[in-house]
Amino acid sequence: MTRVTTALVCVALLGMSAGCRERDRAAKEESAELGTRRGEPVADVARAHSETTAIARTDTAVAPGAVATVASARVDLWRGPGDRPFDVTLRTGDPASAMSRRFGRITLRTSLRSRAADLGQYPCTSCHLGRRIVLADDRVADAHQNIKVSHPRQTGGTCATCHSADNVELLALKSGERATLDHTYRLCAQCHFSQAEAWAAGAHGKRLDGWQGRRVLMGCADCHDPHDPALEPRIPFRGPRIERTRGSGK
Amino acid sequence: MTSERSTGPLPDPGDHTLLQKRVDRRRALSILLGGAAIGTSAVAACAPLGATTPESKEARLLAWREYIKGNYRTMTEVERAETIARLERLAELKRGVDVTIQSTGAQPGVVFGYAFNISKCQGFRSCIEACINENNLDRRAATQYIRIFEMEDGVVDLDHADATFQHEVPAEGHFYMGTQCFQCADPPCVKVCPVGATWQEPDGITVVDYDWCIGCRYCMAACPYWARRFNWGEPEVPVAELNTNQHYLGNRARKAGVVEKCHFCIHRTRKGQLPACAEACPTGARVFGNLLDPDSEIRWVLANKRVFRLKEDLKTEPRFWYFTD
Repeated sequence: MTRVTTALVCVALLGMSAGCRERDRAAKEESAELGTRRGEPVADVARAHSETTAIARTDTAVAPGAVATVASARVDLWRGPGDRPFDVTLRTGDPASAMSRRFGRITLRTSLRSRAADLGQYPCTSCHLGRRIVLADDRVADAHQNIKVSHPRQTGGTCATCHSADNVELLALKSGERATLDHTYRLCAQCHFSQAEAWAAGAHGKRLDGWQGRRVLMGCADCHDPHDPALEPRIPFRGPRIERTRGSGK
Repeated sequence: MTSERSTGPLPDPGDHTLLQKRVDRRRALSILLGGAAIGTSAVAACAPLGATTPESKEARLLAWREYIKGNYRTMTEVERAETIARLERLAELKRGVDVTIQSTGAQPGVVFGYAFNISKCQGFRSCIEACINENNLDRRAATQYIRIFEMEDGVVDLDHADATFQHEVPAEGHFYMGTQCFQCADPPCVKVCPVGATWQEPDGITVVDYDWCIGCRYCMAACPYWARRFNWGEPEVPVAELNTNQHYLGNRARKAGVVEKCHFCIHRTRKGQLPACAEACPTGARVFGNLLDPDSEIRWVLANKRVFRLKEDLKTEPRFWYFTD
């Protein structure tokens, strides 16, 4: 299954490299595809958003080591170890549903947060309603100062490389399909297929509900900023030093 | 005092449960010793500076009973429940904390394994922080089970690695590799213990009975990975930071003069949770799971990634693998 998908993604990548002619064609296909359901997209997104808001965490007090209840959805593209299906977390629309972990008496917030709350200019439809994405760089830079875009630019991408041009709250896949912002793995896996395979199998990313039972993973954007995916360097935990037993000092 | 001893059980208000128990030799001895303790304390109370409260009396009695209990492995379920009740009460009397000590056994069909991705680790040491908090490690002596080694790219050379780096990480041209107890399948530390205070559980976790350990430190000398820690003093943990979710063989209060070690967060993992280090890691470098489950993530890593173990030639069979992307 994964091999076939990987092959498909490779083909898609080759297609991408063909240049803007290809992109134009994809955009045409996109608008054609959109035309079949032109009347509904905006309303659809709004409804989906309110639904995820409703699936908020019920308990505010998190027991030590417990995992807060988060909405999750079945992954439909990748299989986990043993070729078994698994869930991927869906960030809820409720900012209070940020997940906390307790280590002793110390509560640490993990990066599983509402994507919507993270986005400075959400919902996108407040500006983008009914308009196509403006691709001029200066205009984009003005409107989205809070976004540090390093990732798609390295590869010559534009906003429309990942975002659907007609509805920026959806992600545009090369297959012509759309994915919500909560299903970033479908978009990322188009290029990062080896990472996606390792993620599905458990060697990349994090599992949330413990090692046993229901398998819930964090999605790509839970750890990586999609516009600047590398982890920031940081000062390590300055715990108490321990003495060296062997070797030369450094 | 004489009449107290001859009538057997002590008129201790906080000790009703013990009054109803069958009196065997061990218990009779403990009651006698307890009586002696109370007697001594009564004498001390007569001294001008001495002060005896019912709480201190009870604590002393409980401490006596703890002193003469058996090895955890030889205890019956009842005895385990009793010692846990005593330890919980002692924690309340001494520190005013309400701890819960589990005695959860190993799950059948489970042997824990761990994999560490050296391509992913960035040296943030979040695992160490979580471990210290989770396992009530001695803050004053700065005990830590985990070490993160910084090494130059190209070769795994622990002799010239730095585990004390304080600069911003990840450093250019370096990689990071964490060590802790590897829960060996053939643990040399267990072989050398002269009193049987450390052993391997059915799920592969090597544990220590802190109340049976005599502090000889043979196990520390035998471990090729420097995974064991000795308590030179009584571990100091601020009450506000104490993790009250404890296990008898895990993170319960240790005392001075005993050895402790990483136990894969036995109080968490036996209930299906991840160890604190794996949960805290912000890079996803740590993979934990059941080696006997062919569909587990750890098995996928072992089957699909290039893995190695530290000092494999010693044939201690660590259940801890390193891998790269």
